[in-house]
Amino acid sequence: MTDGGGLRLTGLVKAYGPVRAVEGVDLDVPAGELVTVVGPSGSGKSTMLRLIAGLERPDAGMVAVGGQDLRDVPPHRRSVAMVFQDYALYPHLTVRENIMFGLRVRKVPKGEARRQAGAAAERLGIADLLDRYPDQASGGQRQRVALARALVRSPAVYLLDEPLVSLDAQLRLSTRADLLALHRQIGSTTLHVTHDQAEAMTMGDRVVVMDAGRIRQAGPPQEVYDAPADTFVAGFLGSPPMNLVPGGGVLGGAAGGTVGVRPEDLALDPAGPIEATVDAVETLGSEAVLLTRCPDGLRLAVRTPPRLSLRPGDTVRLRFDPDRLHRFDAAGRRV
Amino acid sequence: MTRAKGERSLSGWAFLAPYAVAVVLLIAVPALLNVGYAFTDHTGLTRDPQFVGLDNVRRLADDAFLADSLEASLFHVALSVPLRLLAAVGLGLLLAAPRPGGRWFRTAVYLPTVVPDVALAVLFLWVLNPLYGPLNQLLGLFGHPGYTWLSDPTTARVGVVLMLLFPIGEGFVVVLAARRLLDGRLYEAAALEGCGPFGQLRRITLPLLAPVLVLLAVRDTILTLQVNFVPAYVLTDGRPANATLYLPVYIFDQAFEFSGFAYAALITILLMLITAAIIAVQLLAVRRWRVLR
Repeated sequence: MTDGGGLRLTGLVKAYGPVRAVEGVDLDVPAGELVTVVGPSGSGKSTMLRLIAGLERPDAGMVAVGGQDLRDVPPHRRSVAMVFQDYALYPHLTVRENIMFGLRVRKVPKGEARRQAGAAAERLGIADLLDRYPDQASGGQRQRVALARALVRSPAVYLLDEPLVSLDAQLRLSTRADLLALHRQIGSTTLHVTHDQAEAMTMGDRVVVMDAGRIRQAGPPQEVYDAPADTFVAGFLGSPPMNLVPGGGVLGGAAGGTVGVRPEDLALDPAGPIEATVDAVETLGSEAVLLTRCPDGLRLAVRTPPRLSLRPGDTVRLRFDPDRLHRFDAAGRRV
Repeated sequence: MTRAKGERSLSGWAFLAPYAVAVVLLIAVPALLNVGYAFTDHTGLTRDPQFVGLDNVRRLADDAFLADSLEASLFHVALSVPLRLLAAVGLGLLLAAPRPGGRWFRTAVYLPTVVPDVALAVLFLWVLNPLYGPLNQLLGLFGHPGYTWLSDPTTARVGVVLMLLFPIGEGFVVVLAARRLLDGRLYEAAALEGCGPFGQLRRITLPLLAPVLVLLAVRDTILTLQVNFVPAYVLTDGRPANATLYLPVYIFDQAFEFSGFAYAALITILLMLITAAIIAVQLLAVRRWRVLR
């Protein structure tokens, strides 16, 4: 396969003084794929985007788009567009001028630039905002303006740095769907950085989990969820996260290692082997999460049907499916 | 509730009072008296000044010294305000980014503002000295014979402007602070679009700083029409050929040297009107800028 607009990162390293922000990242994104990058704050997600965009120079390693090494290619000559977290719209320019900005810098004639800006705005449903200023647009509209600004560049690779984080929950859901639809329409290679795991799981063809400047795991969302590569990924994805029991404990011995079980793989069963006390009940409407504590102090979260009328202090017995246990070695790697 | 509110506004007035009293006694009352004196025959020593109607106003029309003074002041504003603004903005933008040694450069730019006007003027008597002054020596390095700075009308005016190019610390600090408030991401977004440093200056920095620049221009116009008093007095005493007889100098001469207190009062009003007119022109010129809404 020739990756027309594919993205390849090889051994990417970037340090800021003593802080190693990105430490040997290898990633291959075939053309047209949407990859979500998820990880806690400071895991190197944004730095990775900045390295790809050319806002930072890697200390080592290579960024290639469409097979071309971008080492000495300045940001504006890379076929890469970036949408910033807070959109970075120019407050003194109208929406139209914002979208046209890059075209005008690249000496595209004014008429043509206006036409392209109009077309991009049309596509994103913000055509009626063209003559407004960013501070006269809502958060969701501003986000679309930022997208339109990326769109007119018709880049091979889109870099989205937490594009939904400033939107309220409801708008985030609908915008998520819109973004996906747009991606399907354009079919461009997209790297979508987020710290929202629901966003990462639902949007990506593949999800990349990062921590401390490294990629911990990359793969289709369900696969990463079902078979986390290490305890970090196991504890990071899922809400509530996987119950991790050092040494195995009530889940059965694992000398030196850790055994994990997802809250949905635990069930209430009067004949179950685990005894626990209910600490709290989190009711979510369609389901509930029991936060329980075993006699040895171990805390276990359990996903249950709603309306069980359990109260804090109640004693319950739990059963687990031995086939659904996750075993990790002493270094935290999946066995 | 109402009582607490009343007490609060009362204490507000109490805190305001010292300043308000000073403003009334030291500024408002003298300004009103000034308007009154402008239409009398007050010499400054007259015990009982008499109202003389528009006599002083008629005198304005054929006062050759006033014409010279106006010309000197307008020349000074036209040259000094743009250059001072350019220096403050240029240095402010250059030194806003954190870089090694930056704080020393910033201190160096601000330093002349701390030096008293008179001291700076005495320093410039030396700088502009045609025989051993460093400026002429510098010009000499380029094979230029140098100028007799303060004894030629044009170069004397330029000399005063040169001196006032140094105390620009306040405008500099304002530009520095305003530039640092601009969002760094705007510049990254621009860099991604291929907008270089010069394009960023033109398309982002200057438009976003426009409100500050207008404010500085207005302020500097007011200031510049007045602060040239000290340099003119120390460097040239209004000479040569009235080239530096700026309005404040002429007002001082009229009021305290020629016993024309009433006439000086009238010129003060004229100075204020000229200042207002220049500012009005500036604001009209930038009215269409969106940032000023």
